[in-house]
Amino acid sequence: MRTGFARWITVAVVSLAPIPAAAQVTALPRAPDGKPDLQGIWQVFNTAAWDLQDHHARLGVPPGQGVVEGNEIPYQAWAATKKQENFDKRLTADPEVKGYLPGVPRIMYMPFPFQIFQTPRHVTMAFEYAHGVRIIYTNGSPHPAGPLSFWLGDSRGRWEGDTLVVDVVHFTDQTWFDRAGNFHGDLLHLIERYTLIGPDHMSYEVTIEDPMVFTRPWKMSMLLYRRKEPNLRLLEFEPAFLVEEDQRQREQGNK
Amino acid sequence: MRVRALAVIAIGARHASFACFIATAHASAASGQDATRQTTVGGCPTEPVAFHKCAEDRAKTFNPPRTPDGRPDMQGYWRPRLTNGFSVEGVTGADPEARNPVQAATVGPGMIVDPPDRRIPYQPWAAALGRKGLHVKTYLDPHGRCALHGPPRNVEVSPIYQLIQPPGGNYVVWLLEEVHEYRIIPTNARRHIGRDIKLWGGDAVGRWEGNTLVVDVTNMNGYNWLDDAGNFFTDTVHMVERWTMIDPDVIQYQVTIEDPRVYTRPWTMSWALVREKEPGFELLEEACWEGERDMEWFLNLGLKHYYGESWRGR
Repeated sequence: MRTGFARWITVAVVSLAPIPAAAQVTALPRAPDGKPDLQGIWQVFNTAAWDLQDHHARLGVPPGQGVVEGNEIPYQAWAATKKQENFDKRLTADPEVKGYLPGVPRIMYMPFPFQIFQTPRHVTMAFEYAHGVRIIYTNGSPHPAGPLSFWLGDSRGRWEGDTLVVDVVHFTDQTWFDRAGNFHGDLLHLIERYTLIGPDHMSYEVTIEDPMVFTRPWKMSMLLYRRKEPNLRLLEFEPAFLVEEDQRQREQGNK
Repeated sequence: MRVRALAVIAIGARHASFACFIATAHASAASGQDATRQTTVGGCPTEPVAFHKCAEDRAKTFNPPRTPDGRPDMQGYWRPRLTNGFSVEGVTGADPEARNPVQAATVGPGMIVDPPDRRIPYQPWAAALGRKGLHVKTYLDPHGRCALHGPPRNVEVSPIYQLIQPPGGNYVVWLLEEVHEYRIIPTNARRHIGRDIKLWGGDAVGRWEGNTLVVDVTNMNGYNWLDDAGNFFTDTVHMVERWTMIDPDVIQYQVTIEDPRVYTRPWTMSWALVREKEPGFELLEEACWEGERDMEWFLNLGLKHYYGESWRGR
């Protein structure tokens, strides 16, 4: 009895011991070049698309714990006022209702799947939402000289160990961060960090800078989940053509 | 070339609808000029039927470069050639569109190689709608409102594409610069998605037949046209596309289209994709809808949006 208990204790201690780092590393899927293989269909499982910060339920809005580190977005005074105006007018002023590309990082946490394709030269993301595409070059090429305005920015990545670090610039000031009116200007600069923390989970962190809007850099972090349903495809969500008038015409068909 | 593209994109942020039309105009002008200047593509004649026959012969003997998993390596940047974006049936000098002072259609043959008369084998009711018929008089070209082109028009009109075959061998991915459309072609999928899901780009199931990528396309919503002339299919269309390298820098593309509601028989088009070899070339973002300013003008002309000839969207 006593011996049996001691054995149980031993087994428990051994199984609680930290898994050696090497074992964890080899468990991750790897590309032929040895980098973590990020390929697959991914999607967030959070409420950042509605509101980046802690929020309780509103009409049509699921409650959620925020994704912003410390929960505070360090707006400059004028920008805090502007954010509140955006919030008040959000049902009509949000660029999302116009069917535009939602910008980065917003497209990463829209409640739609996206698919990653990875080669040594670039990591390409195809999004179901608005058929957005991000091509993240990992070949050491620099950002093109500006000024340039892209709705999804210009992305240049590099591998820091097993983390894909992406520098994104050349944005427009026409996109928001969420449906709650959080916003930025065209000097937006992002540093994204993508880290597989298991075969089916990826940590996504993004540091946000915009000297015209914020008083300091700030950070959001969340998880991406691998979609594993058999025969799964990205379908199409074309927001520009899903407005009321188009739906009426579609249902009538051509007359 | 790149300088022009950058200029278009720089304009694009504010006036992207213009950029769309500029890019299209440039593309058709460029391919038209090149088609007359070049006498061969991949060692084959540029007349479409002759090109098709020659390409099929060359495909039998050409040994393409390979990916690590042993498939033909088609990766890189490609531009369509030997196409006529105005009409897949071709444009003659007698067509009024060929003398349009704003954007003249390129005079030249179409891409149809079968049937032998090189016309779309329309059922009588359908011929009156497509082929510069009722469609172009009634509806705004779906392309003009920044809609996804869907196949095969998306292989025909984007001035530039990128093809990616990521390690693993399970996907072939086409990225189009125009309207940032993309095509994801699984080569390991066993079946299509459910028939009630309708898409602008359809559902693709690919497989390798020797050195040819064969793509079976269903689930189209039928909202797309084949060309500027309003030639069309419906949501019952079924396409089989075949991509074959015939030279290190040339892919032969062919597509067989069947739609029992619209045509009397399946028919086939063929053209070329030619490699863009500029060092350091990259695709840029061509936002289109985001800068659209002309829609109201088109609608005020009385043109309506096109929502297909048969399918009632739900």
